[in-house]
Amino acid sequence: MTGSNTPRANSMTGKRGKRWPLRPLSAVILLVLAAGAVASSLITQKVVEDQERLILREQTAEVAAVVGSAFAGAQSSLQLLGEIARSDQGHPQLFTNAARAVTTTSTQAWLVTTQSGTSLKVTAATGDGPAVGQAVSGDQGTLARRALSAKGLVSGLVRDGGTLRLAFALGGAAGPGTVVWQESAISPTTPTPTGPTSPFHSLNVAIYLSNHPDPSALVVTTTKGLPLAGVQYPFRVGADTWLIVASSSQSLVGSLGQDMPWLVLGFGALTAVLMTAVIETLGRRRDYASALVEERTASLRSAIAEREAAQADLNRQENMAAIGQLAATVGHELRNPLAVVTNVLYLMKVGSKADANDPIRRHIATAEREISAATRIVSDLLDYAAGRGPILAPVEVCDLVAEALSVVPPPDGVQVVQRGEPQVVDVDRDQIRQALLNLITNAYDAMPDGGVLTVSTISEPGSAQITVTDTGMGMDEETRDGIFTPFFTKKARGIGLGLAVTKRVVEAHGGTIAVRSMPAAGSSFTLTLPVVAAMVSASQ
Amino acid sequence: MRDTLVAILEHHGYRVWSAPDGETAFSAVQERAFDVLVMDIRMPGRDGVSVLQEMGKPPPQVILMTAYAREDRLRAAAAADVFAVLSKPFELRRMLRLVAQASRDNK
Repeated sequence: MTGSNTPRANSMTGKRGKRWPLRPLSAVILLVLAAGAVASSLITQKVVEDQERLILREQTAEVAAVVGSAFAGAQSSLQLLGEIARSDQGHPQLFTNAARAVTTTSTQAWLVTTQSGTSLKVTAATGDGPAVGQAVSGDQGTLARRALSAKGLVSGLVRDGGTLRLAFALGGAAGPGTVVWQESAISPTTPTPTGPTSPFHSLNVAIYLSNHPDPSALVVTTTKGLPLAGVQYPFRVGADTWLIVASSSQSLVGSLGQDMPWLVLGFGALTAVLMTAVIETLGRRRDYASALVEERTASLRSAIAEREAAQADLNRQENMAAIGQLAATVGHELRNPLAVVTNVLYLMKVGSKADANDPIRRHIATAEREISAATRIVSDLLDYAAGRGPILAPVEVCDLVAEALSVVPPPDGVQVVQRGEPQVVDVDRDQIRQALLNLITNAYDAMPDGGVLTVSTISEPGSAQITVTDTGMGMDEETRDGIFTPFFTKKARGIGLGLAVTKRVVEAHGGTIAVRSMPAAGSSFTLTLPVVAAMVSASQ
Repeated sequence: MRDTLVAILEHHGYRVWSAPDGETAFSAVQERAFDVLVMDIRMPGRDGVSVLQEMGKPPPQVILMTAYAREDRLRAAAAADVFAVLSKPFELRRMLRLVAQASRDNK
């Protein structure tokens, strides 16, 4: 038994049916831990996103504050220039110089327009804007009129040919009906880069001169990717509402914060796999151990059972041997007295009157019958107890059948028919004769009211068959199943060993015995004895 | 057993001489001439096979009787030609038939 210390794999798969890579418990733990890892990762991601949004909003507000303060400075400048323009009547140079002093780029223009009737005219100017005396109309006119009516700084986009200008205007700064304003050319769709040193370098920002992200109201942007999906932050510039839209161009919470959900997910997944592996290993070990224990227990049990069976067998054999010995001794001792009584009865019979109705003759007949039954019981017992192996010698089957038939003459009313061709078989003459005697006497017993006994021998390739058929009472199924069992009998007399001996003898010859029988339809016993090829040719 | 067999054979008209053991049987066979010798293989003193083997005179027809069918049959077969071996128990009629055949054959 190689591999007796490993539980058979097939028994384990057999127990679980289809083979899964994981045990159910491990699979559940893997799923739960994996789900936990994903949930933790999602929660972390949400927290990081919230943080990101919060920081973005704060930074956007800061941008708005910075931009707003810059425009507040612009309002102060316009206020001051307005004061200068009001006081320089007749000396326009004063305004021009002052305006030039605060000009930072060449695209800027500083104007003062004065209302006369319904039209507006430029009364002082510097930079590349409209010249003095020019009437103000179009976008500029609209803006100037709004400045006259509004309180505080107004702002707007002025389209002048192909140039777009951002204009701030302050009404009444140089006296009633005047507007002081500043224009500068802008190119809003060209992104304004933010340097790495800028505090807002991690933001993408678009500023609109409107309270919604209207592309035509765009003033400045740091990116080409418009519209921006991000925080919208409206803020006041003078009398107008502007809008900042900002999104982060890189993580505001830092790379660790950005990676945190993935770290959580990875760590969780690793934990899940490790835990599952540990539990699977432990579970498999337990399975292995319990399978081992089960197998050992089973083999121990079967060993014990085998031992017990062997012991019982031995006991039974010893018992049988003892009984056999006893039976043989008793049988031998009984045989002679029985033979003597038989002889005496014979002498009494032949010595008595010939009258068949003489009561003595009847009594003698009864005694003969009983003695013959007793003799048969003793013979059966001796045969059964002997139980020796056959000693083979060539025997002619028809002779043997004739001998057996001559040993037990048929009772009255029974006709005997013997059929078959002579054939030599290799058998133990005594044993097969005894087997035939048992079958023949049984057949006689089955026909108390007379009938026909047929013994036929058939020669077949490799075997010889002897069939003993009677026309007697037959057997039911239960009887037929039991007849070969020792001590099974349906007869009023007899100990039920005859057919057991017959079967044992035939099987010891390597042959078989078969029975066919129906109640009230007679019985037929067939002995099949093997014939070796050499014997077949010897008999021909 | 012996007495009853003697009686039965005498009843059937044979003249019967019986011996209680092998030795007596042996000397009887030496002294007298019998047609048929019916003899147990196992006898007190000297057994049937040895009696058979040492008979000097023209032997009678011999019928051996045995209760130990197998081994005795082998021993009997080893001995000279016997007319028959009767396994005990046997039917009286069978024995009578054999004796009748044997005595007829010897005449």
